[in-house]
This record gives sequence, structure tokens and C-alpha cells, in this order.
Amino acid sequence: MLLEKTRCLKAAAQLSSQTVLLKELSRLSSHGGARRHFGISRPLAAKVPPPRKPRERVDIPGLEMVTYADRMHFVPGLTKPVGPRWERDYKDPRYYESPPAHEMPLFKETPCYVFNQRTSALEGVRQALWLTKTKLIPHLPPQLLSLTENPANQIPDQDERVQNAIKHARFWDTTQERPGKEKYSNTLLLNLLHLCATLQSSHPAIGRRIFSEKYSLAATWKRGEDVFQIRGQNGLLHNCMDPLPEVSGKQEVADTADHVLEALYPVSPTIDLQKVHVYKDEPNCTGFRGDYPYPHAHTLYFLEGADARCKLRPEQFRAKMLMFTFGNALVRAHKAYGTQPRHVLDRPITVQAVGTNGRIFQFMVLQLNTTDLSGDDGIKNQVWLEEDVELYDFAKVRPLIKKKQVKV
Amino acid sequence: MMAVSCLTRALRSMTLSQPALLSSQAITQTGLATQGPKMVVQCRGFLTTASLEQNRTFWKQREKYTIKPMGMKKTGGRDHTGRIRTHGIGGGHKQKYRWIDFQRLRYEPNNEAKPFEEKVVEVRYDPCRSADIALLAGGSRKRWIIATENMQAGDIIKTSGVIGRMAVSANEGDAYPLGALPVGTLVNNLEVQPGKGSEYIRAAGTSGILLRKVNGTAIIQLPSKQQVQVLETCIVTVGRVSNIDHNKRIIGKAGRNRWLGIRPSSGLWQRKGGWAGRKIKPLPPMKVYVNLPSISAK
Repeated sequence: MLLEKTRCLKAAAQLSSQTVLLKELSRLSSHGGARRHFGISRPLAAKVPPPRKPRERVDIPGLEMVTYADRMHFVPGLTKPVGPRWERDYKDPRYYESPPAHEMPLFKETPCYVFNQRTSALEGVRQALWLTKTKLIPHLPPQLLSLTENPANQIPDQDERVQNAIKHARFWDTTQERPGKEKYSNTLLLNLLHLCATLQSSHPAIGRRIFSEKYSLAATWKRGEDVFQIRGQNGLLHNCMDPLPEVSGKQEVADTADHVLEALYPVSPTIDLQKVHVYKDEPNCTGFRGDYPYPHAHTLYFLEGADARCKLRPEQFRAKMLMFTFGNALVRAHKAYGTQPRHVLDRPITVQAVGTNGRIFQFMVLQLNTTDLSGDDGIKNQVWLEEDVELYDFAKVRPLIKKKQVKV
Repeated sequence: MMAVSCLTRALRSMTLSQPALLSSQAITQTGLATQGPKMVVQCRGFLTTASLEQNRTFWKQREKYTIKPMGMKKTGGRDHTGRIRTHGIGGGHKQKYRWIDFQRLRYEPNNEAKPFEEKVVEVRYDPCRSADIALLAGGSRKRWIIATENMQAGDIIKTSGVIGRMAVSANEGDAYPLGALPVGTLVNNLEVQPGKGSEYIRAAGTSGILLRKVNGTAIIQLPSKQQVQVLETCIVTVGRVSNIDHNKRIIGKAGRNRWLGIRPSSGLWQRKGGWAGRKIKPLPPMKVYVNLPSISAK
């Protein structure tokens, strides 16, 4: 009897302590205190608590921490002993940690600004013109325009064949209703290139050209005190055995010395460029080996939808075209004339570029006159840019309605 | 006493290989009642820190500034315990957070500390606040700030930390310390401690007035007519905050409020106490954020 009573009393005491505890804990938690709930019947927190960060260990230099390493067991109040850092004695590529930037062998104090194929320059073409020390001339040079108008250069049934090419790219090239932008711009470009290549019988020079894709370009130059680099795999390149003839004569080239580059104040020209401290010194690389039979660059072709991750506005797209064309020209100039900056090149290097988003085309001709890009004065390079040329207005599939019935 | 023995029994049953974090969960599973947090401190492996951070920005993991909009987690008015702390918040359209740089006078890491200019690239709507935001580009960095009334893309905005002898005739959108501005200018984005970042006058259409400048401090009237005394080196921007017709908009329907994340209030009729009704009382005394030296020299 007595034992039972004591047991009941104990149980009652336990229950009351539990209710008291509940109230205490709820008061504590509502004050924003520690979320501690040991065995309460209903949960006090609704969410899983976030992973707690371990306590920060402060290293005071000169202060020796007393550890329990000598005693070989935990002693409250002494710190955990930290052993020497273990490193694998063999090289395992699965567990390799790269050293921090300032310990890398190629680390340099002066940063290098890299323009890669995903860069979207804030100021667009103006920024690219300043970086490449180039003068912009609005339309294509008259020699090229006269070439296009010459009927000997035109394909028989040109309009019809071009329309067929557009229809193939926009409508017929898919099993779905409409092909996606990357697909149709790519097919359209290849179709048009094929049409141009059919002129080979009358223009044997076309046979001395070849296409190449996915080549890695790297070019370096100094502008002011900063080092700039262009790197990346940009797009389709049309290589040629013979170099392109220069567009403007010596007199015009000398006249560009009077042109003043547009200042981008207050925005600095290095904006949006990737800043790196670890870089190779002079990585001039065309993307091909030395004995490649087609050394000269003829035309570059850029597709807007090539990289799904970066979407460029037209201005930024033109800037990217200009930078990569310049990179190709500069690398070939470095190979031909050496890496020392030269004020005037004996033979200016000309490279062309075409960019498209499937409907609108941008044409560009760049002539590299100088590799001396450190100062803002002197002879400038020239670029002729034709913007926003529409090949066709729209390409839609309209249902054919005959006798009030929709035909597929 | 009994609780202590139960606790020690539980602890003894746990092997040393188990990590410390699981200990509290293990005890909840065994279903024991313990005395309280005081007991636990002596045992090894129990965490004694509590989370004290504010509830609204606990989703922000990044330390480096970026202009890219980032995903935000909504709280629904709940605090870290999971209970509603503020009623009437919840739901609404998903919003991406654009990190606004409230410290206007922030020099670029490699530049020297002198007045600089920046260009406004675009002014756009921000779902997280009533004002519009502007993307500024200067030097090699871009940042978001709260746009002022007549800011347009292409403007050049000046930020300066210099207090000259003469007051500067400030253009709208420029940022100057209070000591450099003439008395009576409309200001916004007020800092109360120099270098802390602006905390006041940031809502749409608001502006404060610089009332007086008194040896080393300046007195500003906030939009609530409360007056504040701050050091004259605190940076403010000149002009009214953008989106001035924000208070004149008509919600139109209950659904639009729900899109904004405002839940309906409780419909229960509750007897109003002394807090309700119009009150006419004198302005509260001026709040002084300056530690003035006490006059105790004798």
C-alpha cells in the first residue's frame, strides 16, 4: 500500500514537473531562446532546424593552446589537439585540391582582363572599338558592294534558291511543328554557304578554302597598363590558303591617325571582362598547328543561338563579333611579324565576319593596320560594319483554307 | 533525481561514435523528460548556441555582391520557431531579390577615395519594394541602387564624400554628405551613422528635408514629421524617391492584394482598446544619433 502510494506520488510529481517543464520550455522558446525540446509530446518547432555551423576556432599567434594530447584522453577545459596536415604521398587525381591563386606558378600581380565567348560587354561596340583601337566606318566598303552587284558573281535562279534554302531551314528540317532557333539558324547558314560554294566552277578560289569549327583562339595585347586577352571557341571559321586583299589603301590608313577614340567615361573599358591573376604570358594561338595548309583567316561566322547559357543583345553580339575577328587577325599578325608591337604593318591583315540570328545578318570587315595598341594615338585599325540586314521579314506557316476547310 | 538517472543512463547507452547533433534527437526518441538546459551544459557534445538571426534574410547565403537576381524564400510571417509572428503575410507572386547597395559611398577596391561618377544603365521595377531601382555602372563594377524621381537611363550620377566650405548645388540623384548640402534640400536614403548604409527614407515618393546644420551635426525631418539629428558626414541622396504615385494606386480587388502577399485580416470583431482612434499629441522629441560630449567639466 505504502509502496503504491509512493509510486503514485512519484508519478504525480513527474507529471507536474512535466507540465511545469512544458510551460518553461514554451516560455523559453517564445523568448527566442535555445530550441531544446527533450521528449515533449508535441513538437515546438515546425521546421527541421538548419544545420548549425561549428564554433569558430580563433588562432591567436603566439598564444600556445594547452591540449590534452599528453594525457591521451579528453579533459574538459583543454582544447582538442590538432595534428600535422596529412598529405597523400602519391598523386591521386580524384582527391586533388588546387592551390589558392597566389600560390600557383603562373600567378602575376598585374591582372589580365579576358574576353571569352560568353562575355556580354556593357557598352557593346563602343567598348570593343576602344579595346581594339579601331575606327568604325558605317557601311560595307564600296569594293565589296560592287562585287555583289556584278552579275558574274551571282548564282543562276538566285532568288528562288535562296527562298528554298529559307523554307528548308524554317519549315522542313524537323519532325515537330517548328524547328528551334539554334537549329534553323544553323541550317540556314549552312544552306547559304552551300549555295555560295556552287559557284566554284566559275571561281576557282573557293576551292582553296576550308571550314573549321571549335578551334580555340587565344590572343594577347597590351592597352595602356592593362593586359587584355581574347580566348574561346567562337564559331565557324573559313580558312584560306591565300590572304585577303586589303580594303583601304595606305593613304586612308595614315588618315586614321587623326581619328580620336570615343571615351567611355564614367564606365571603364574593362567592365564585364573576366579579371584573372593566373594566366600564361604570351599565349598567341590560332587554334591550328604551324603546318596547317590553310593558314589565313577569311571569314568568321557567328550564330547567336550557339551558346544556350548566354543570350546576347544585338549590340553585345556585334561587340563579340568584332572582338573575335580582331583576335584572329592579331594572332596571325603576331605570327607573321613577331610579338613586338609594330606601328604600321606592311601588309594590313583583313578578316571578314558574318553574324546571324536566323533572320537578321550583321556583316563586318576588319582591317588590322597596327599592333601597337598601348597608346590611344597613332594609326588605328578599321572596321566596316553593316548592321541588321534582314533576309526575310517573317516565316510563318499559314493554314491553307480551300473551300472553307483547313488543309494540312 | 529520477530524471538525472534516466538522462545519464541514456547518455551511457550512446556510443562515442555517434555525432553530437544526434544526441537531442536520440533523447526525444526515448521519450524522457529532463530538468532543463542547465543540466545539459556539463555533458559533452550538447550544442549550447541558439540561432538569433532575423527571419527575413536567412536564405541569403552569398557574401560577395552580385547584380544577378537571386531566389528568395518567403517566410509567411513565421519566425524561427515556426509560429506566426506577424499576421497577414503569406502567398503572393514569387519574387527574385536584387541585391541593392545601400552604402552609396562605396569606393571600388582599387581606386582612391575621391568623388566619382557613375552612369545609369537602366531603371526598372523591383518586386521587393515600392520604389524603382536603377542599375549603375562605374569603373569596372555595376550595382543596384534605389532610383530617384527623374532618373533615366544614360544619366551621370555623382557620389562625393567631401564637405567643402560652400554648399554644393546638388542635382537630383547625386549623393553628398549632409554638411555639403544647402539647408532645405529634399533628401532620401538617409544614413544615421556614417558608413553604415542608408536605413531611412527609402519608400516610394518619400523625401526628408534638411532643416538646420548645427556645428558638426545636421537635423533632418523624416516623412513622419519626426526630426532626427545625425552627424554631417552621413551620406544622403538628393531628391525624392521614384514611383511617386505609389500611394495613389487603387488595388481594385481582393485578388490583387493576395498577389502582393497580403493575407486577409481576421474577421473576428475585437473590442478596441486605448490604442485605437485618432490621437492628437505633440511631436515626439528629436532623436539624436550623435554622442555629444557631456557638459561635466568643472
